[in-house]
Amino acid sequence: MINVDDLLAGFTLLFSDFTPWLIVIPGILIGLIFGAIPGLQISMAMAIFLPLTLYMDFMQAMLFLTAIFTGGGFGGSIPAILMNIPGTSSSIATTFDGYPMSKMGRHNLALGIGLGASCVGVIIGYSLLLLLISPISEMVLKLGPAEMATVILWGVTLIASLSGKNINKGIISGFIGLLVGTVGYSEAGVTRGTMGSIYLLDGIPAIPAMMGMFAASELFKLVNTQYLVKDESLRKVSVKEIIAGFKMAFTYPWVLVRGSLIGVFVGAVPGVGSSVANLLSYIQTKRKDKNPESFGQGNPAGVVASEAANSTSEAGSMATLLALGIPGGGATAVMLAAFAMHNITGGPQFIREQTDIVYAIVFANFGQAFLLIALGLMFIPILANVVKVPMTYLVPSVLSLSVFGAFGLTGDLTGPITVMVFSLVGWTFKRFDYSVPAAVIGLLLGGMAEESLIHTYQISGGLWGYVFERPVTMVILCLLMFSLFGGKLVSALNSKVRSKA
Amino acid sequence: MPNTINKHKMADLIVLITLFLITCWYAYDAFSASSHIANLILIFPVTALVLVLCSVEFFVLLSDKTVTEQDPIKTVLPVIALFITYVLTLSWLGFDVGTFLFLSVFLWVHGERRIAWVIGYSLAFATLISLFFSNMLPYPMPMLVLSTAY
Repeated sequence: MINVDDLLAGFTLLFSDFTPWLIVIPGILIGLIFGAIPGLQISMAMAIFLPLTLYMDFMQAMLFLTAIFTGGGFGGSIPAILMNIPGTSSSIATTFDGYPMSKMGRHNLALGIGLGASCVGVIIGYSLLLLLISPISEMVLKLGPAEMATVILWGVTLIASLSGKNINKGIISGFIGLLVGTVGYSEAGVTRGTMGSIYLLDGIPAIPAMMGMFAASELFKLVNTQYLVKDESLRKVSVKEIIAGFKMAFTYPWVLVRGSLIGVFVGAVPGVGSSVANLLSYIQTKRKDKNPESFGQGNPAGVVASEAANSTSEAGSMATLLALGIPGGGATAVMLAAFAMHNITGGPQFIREQTDIVYAIVFANFGQAFLLIALGLMFIPILANVVKVPMTYLVPSVLSLSVFGAFGLTGDLTGPITVMVFSLVGWTFKRFDYSVPAAVIGLLLGGMAEESLIHTYQISGGLWGYVFERPVTMVILCLLMFSLFGGKLVSALNSKVRSKA
Repeated sequence: MPNTINKHKMADLIVLITLFLITCWYAYDAFSASSHIANLILIFPVTALVLVLCSVEFFVLLSDKTVTEQDPIKTVLPVIALFITYVLTLSWLGFDVGTFLFLSVFLWVHGERRIAWVIGYSLAFATLISLFFSNMLPYPMPMLVLSTAY
């Protein structure tokens, strides 16, 4: 599975000269800053700094871009934990328990846990990539549009079942999200739901909508509170506690391993990967836990599950990029551009002929994980001071920041207006127990679900029996049905057994 | 108290009916655009499911007798109104002045009476964030006082 000669060549390539490492530290810092500022995306950071890589050789360029990717992967969890703003769709599940932990005054621990889980995730993810790059690439090639469509529907129904109080409303939210995700031009070449507005032709901007649904709506709720953390004694920033949190992440070894495995394999699925991996890991952890009700109330295992999965999904998406030349998301799309700028084409040939470079990239990421620990521990205490800011100042500042960030994403006022509209939708949904995460996931994946269904229809020639010929699709459909009715089925069986006894 | 419960349940029903109607409208709009299967392959089945679930929820809500406590809405509405005004006036006031005014009014309405703090913080935050984003973004930002692009 591993070619030892290429492994040694990769090691030499990386460590024979110290120069490539000089650009790793600024890369991680750029990633951390862009990830930590709501609205600034990792892909945006990579795109802005992409021209710099023209002055680097391919290896240096890869080190620089993957360093931004690694830093940004953790950076996104900082606003998710402190402000309930998931910087990217891969940090959504981090908000579920990270933010409640912050409100309880356990922000230091939550940030430390996030850092620990992220670093371990990167190491596990790239270790698996080292071993499994060939099988993963073969597996991804076998996933057709039918499997993609069912994975998406599974993701949406899973998250809908998370809403807890009212599953019915959760599913309504998820499905309405799917419909909203299809607004604009369709694959069939017609426009739907735009009300004649040219700004909606490309659909509803998903990230600004997500910022509105999660962050702005939560800020409206916080208007009447004085501080994010009510108890003054809990508002302190403690490096000791951040380190304790970092160590605490290792007390959940199974959650870390499960999250990392989900991250690598689901993260390798182009487009869907990072958005679904963190949610899937969170849901599995919640299901397996003895006390599932504690999730969403500030359970550290929730943060570990999400962060382990989203940082390993980076390795998964890198596997798809390196082995197949298919970018899994915005960040890997920028990397593909860097490949092109250096006249390199990703794919089976690249893996076969430049194996030493692939191994060097993997080793570099191990190094980056350790550098992230040091830089994260220096950077987090500065950002954790957010809890000391009175809400009177924090609410309008974060609202403004989300408006600026949304403008940065769309390049016109469509972004800020989307934040405004979806903040109202999010606030209404929260007030009446509709699931905001389910709606957001639906919105993110609606267009892709429709595209996959159309491709399935075209491939099958309109014969629905085609689905029964796809074993993976059938397995995912069974899992989907189980996630919807499994809980009820198990409890019904249990009560029957008890009544017989 | 019973009055509050009725109001909340009524609002819940109104939200549900609104979602039902918006879903119907969207399905109709998609059907009007094209009745080809490729256009409706996701929209029609999902719409059907949403409508069924909304109908079920409607009857569940009507039969539900539990009391739900809710935060008062009065303090949130002015903030929402201020935020809407901020966003909708950005094209005239620009990000610099718009943000300064939004922050100042917000701080004043929420009890900050130290004028120096209100003006100083709003001015510093609006200037710094406007300069940062206009420098970082590759396209010009609407501004009233500061430069639109760097």
